[in-house]
Amino acid sequence: MSLLRVLHAELLKLKRTLAFRVIFVLPLLVALLQFFALLRSKAFGADFKLWETLPSNMLAVWAVFMMPLLITLETALLNGIEHGDRQWKHLCALPVPRHAIYLAKFFVAQGLTAASTLVLCVLTALVGLAVMRLRPELAHSGSVPYGWLAKYAGLVWLASWLIIAIHTWVSIRWSGFAVALGVGIGGTVFALFAASASAGEYYPWLLPMNVFKGERFTTALLLGVGGGAVAALLGCLEFVRRDVA
Amino acid sequence: MIETRRLTRRFGARLAVDDLNLRAPEAGIYGFLGPNGAGKTTAIRMLLGLIRPDAGEVHLFGEPLAADRQTLLRRVGALVEAPSLYPHLTGRENLEVTRRMLGAPRALIDHALEIVQLSRDADRRVREYSLGMRQRLGLALALLNKPDLLILDEPTNGLDPAGIHEMRDLLRRLPAEFGVTVFLSSHLLSEVEQIASHIGIIHGGRLLFQGTLSELQEAHKAELTIGVNQPERATSCLTDAGWGVRVRPDGMLSVPAKTPEDAARINRLLVGQRLEVFHLAPSQVSLEDIFLTLTGGKADERRAA
Repeated sequence: MSLLRVLHAELLKLKRTLAFRVIFVLPLLVALLQFFALLRSKAFGADFKLWETLPSNMLAVWAVFMMPLLITLETALLNGIEHGDRQWKHLCALPVPRHAIYLAKFFVAQGLTAASTLVLCVLTALVGLAVMRLRPELAHSGSVPYGWLAKYAGLVWLASWLIIAIHTWVSIRWSGFAVALGVGIGGTVFALFAASASAGEYYPWLLPMNVFKGERFTTALLLGVGGGAVAALLGCLEFVRRDVA
Repeated sequence: MIETRRLTRRFGARLAVDDLNLRAPEAGIYGFLGPNGAGKTTAIRMLLGLIRPDAGEVHLFGEPLAADRQTLLRRVGALVEAPSLYPHLTGRENLEVTRRMLGAPRALIDHALEIVQLSRDADRRVREYSLGMRQRLGLALALLNKPDLLILDEPTNGLDPAGIHEMRDLLRRLPAEFGVTVFLSSHLLSEVEQIASHIGIIHGGRLLFQGTLSELQEAHKAELTIGVNQPERATSCLTDAGWGVRVRPDGMLSVPAKTPEDAARINRLLVGQRLEVFHLAPSQVSLEDIFLTLTGGKADERRAA
């Protein structure tokens, strides 16, 4: 009950912030990139399948680059508003359990990430349909694979929970935007090197991408969801016990 | 209403609050007074459960805070140092955030705005507010849940004289009009002495005095000033009788005699020795002097603060 009340309050706090705009802006960047790449492509091979290539490309770019960036920005925005006037002391002096305050932040970050991933799915369909109209040779590419899109978008989102949990803790623990940004950029850049290594199977920033790789699928999902839940609980425990300055 | 038992808190080697036994009675305004760094904010944070004590207990409304913090805090409103506001939201929206968290009725927002006289500016964004308005909105947040107890940490900090005056008037109204007990910290005696019925003086983490203002004055009324024709003889005579005597630069004697009976006894003693007593009066010690004596401060430092 307390958690629902805190979640309700969290939504109001986001009014007039960048948090809602970012949900649309980042998927739109991915969509525009794919749209112009397809539009400007000189020729498509006979075996080119629009509805196999486009959704997997969009989700791959999303999983590796944009979603970690989205999580970095959203958690930093979400928790940055509490650091400004040191709102934590006001929140923690209210008759609300501290774990509800922390978990609400985690759930809102999960919600915003899910919403943005959903926007990406819609844009994937729109980009494909637009390309089919503008490139006659692709006019008969078939219909939008809504089932596949929904399934993999959902899996990518589930595998991102660990990143969300890490960023939620970092952005609550440290007030500076630079720390959150450093962790986000560092995590993403290092993922490029870790991708080919065997340890990449367990690297948090690679988990969303790993759901596409058969041999890493189970680890990605278990570590993403389970690790995310455990990391969120550990962060919550630390927050509950911490002195509020 | 507030009771702490041997409350203690360290930060590393520094003892911020040392064996604090506060007793703030119901109704009225309790002024928690002390110079900067005396331990007021640390004590207040422990009262609200923001930080844990190393030892001791906090009791609110007769119940231990640790046992049921949430239920007890439902009856408490707090403003710790600067108000915690979201500048991108309006005043009303700031209150709405807290209202949602409390699950309180919506009508309480207008009630709180009315008390702090911010109804007209409620729909402006907080980033456009003056410091005084922000402070009043912070107070509205603390009052939102119609608390029985209001805990305010330096609520006039940073305000200009007009803002201080406004805040003081507002606080003075709260116990009488709304039945709220106010626990208010300040480093300025002038702030507290005008509105508080009870005070506690903290310095170096220790509570040096607790009681009403008149009790404080009574406890430190202390000295009897004596004018006598032969100060040296009078000094030895009083010293022989067991009194501590201080000879002032103007030749008058100061004796730590507290009661009228003491004054009569001293007068009898001196007259009995054929000394001529031409002045015998308790010296008036101002509250400021008492505060400075207790906290070891200097008037200049206090004014600079």
